[in-house]
Amino acid sequence: MASDAHTKGSGSTLGPRQYIQITIGLAVVTVLELIASYAGLGTVTLVTVLIVMSALKFGVVVALFMHLRFESRVFTQMFMLGLILATAILIGLLALFWNDSTDALGGEELPPWEHHGH
Amino acid sequence: MEATEAAHGEHHTSLGVDNRMLLMWIFLASECLFFGSLISTYLIYKGESLVRPLPDDVFDIPLTSLSTFVLLVSSFTMVLAVYAAHHNFPKMMKLSLLSTILLGLVFLGFQVYEFRLFGSEGLNLSTNQFGASFFVLTGFHGVHVGVGVLYLGSMLIGSMRRNGLGPSGGLYMEIAGLYWHFVDIVWIVIFTVIYLIP
Repeated sequence: MASDAHTKGSGSTLGPRQYIQITIGLAVVTVLELIASYAGLGTVTLVTVLIVMSALKFGVVVALFMHLRFESRVFTQMFMLGLILATAILIGLLALFWNDSTDALGGEELPPWEHHGH
Repeated sequence: MEATEAAHGEHHTSLGVDNRMLLMWIFLASECLFFGSLISTYLIYKGESLVRPLPDDVFDIPLTSLSTFVLLVSSFTMVLAVYAAHHNFPKMMKLSLLSTILLGLVFLGFQVYEFRLFGSEGLNLSTNQFGASFFVLTGFHGVHVGVGVLYLGSMLIGSMRRNGLGPSGGLYMEIAGLYWHFVDIVWIVIFTVIYLIP
């Protein structure tokens, strides 16, 4: 039966009108991300805001454009497994190598760059 | 029931789902690990470069935002192609598929322009840690977009045959759509992590 659903429309009840609304929503969130990046927010606030908005866009595309919301839970579990492992890799590698002892080797030789924002 | 399934070319697994869909989802899960590792590498090397140029020297955020919008619209046209394939609207499907391919090519054009611009500023794979991790990450994403364009191109050619994509055409388009949307969500993460986060 699951295959019947796939060949006839994945069980999704969304139509072109809804897809247009979703795309406009995603575009608005992208504009908000841009505004936030130029708004002069503090680093922690900015990073939090950007990650939340990015995760929102990610979730909407996966759930509605990729129809994961309307599909078998097996697909959700499979994709979530990949995502969780990827996040674990990210956290593990950052914990191992971010600000490790090798960073100090070149630190003294850094030229006095004049940073200018984008 | 079995005769009907055989006629539609459907392949069940013991999980009760189509094995072609399952295969694509497993592939996308493995791709999460691939891009997760590349994004981790970029973040580890962030701020470690000893020579210029640095991200602030070369990034053109308005230009990259434009290419982000192009990819976003391509996701919309892709989902329309899937909708049309499921509802048996062949003209709408072909038009949407062609639009997706063209938008994918425009995105690649933006990326080639950006790479050439960065190259003219003295940034390449061997310049510094930023250059190495940036070009590998965005380059692999670009390769995925290129593969997606070829994939969708083959779907478009297939849909122009006399019997179209066959009885499983909707399913094949859905699977192609999964790949294309995945390329889009990877860019959503790259755009935020690489370009917007200071």
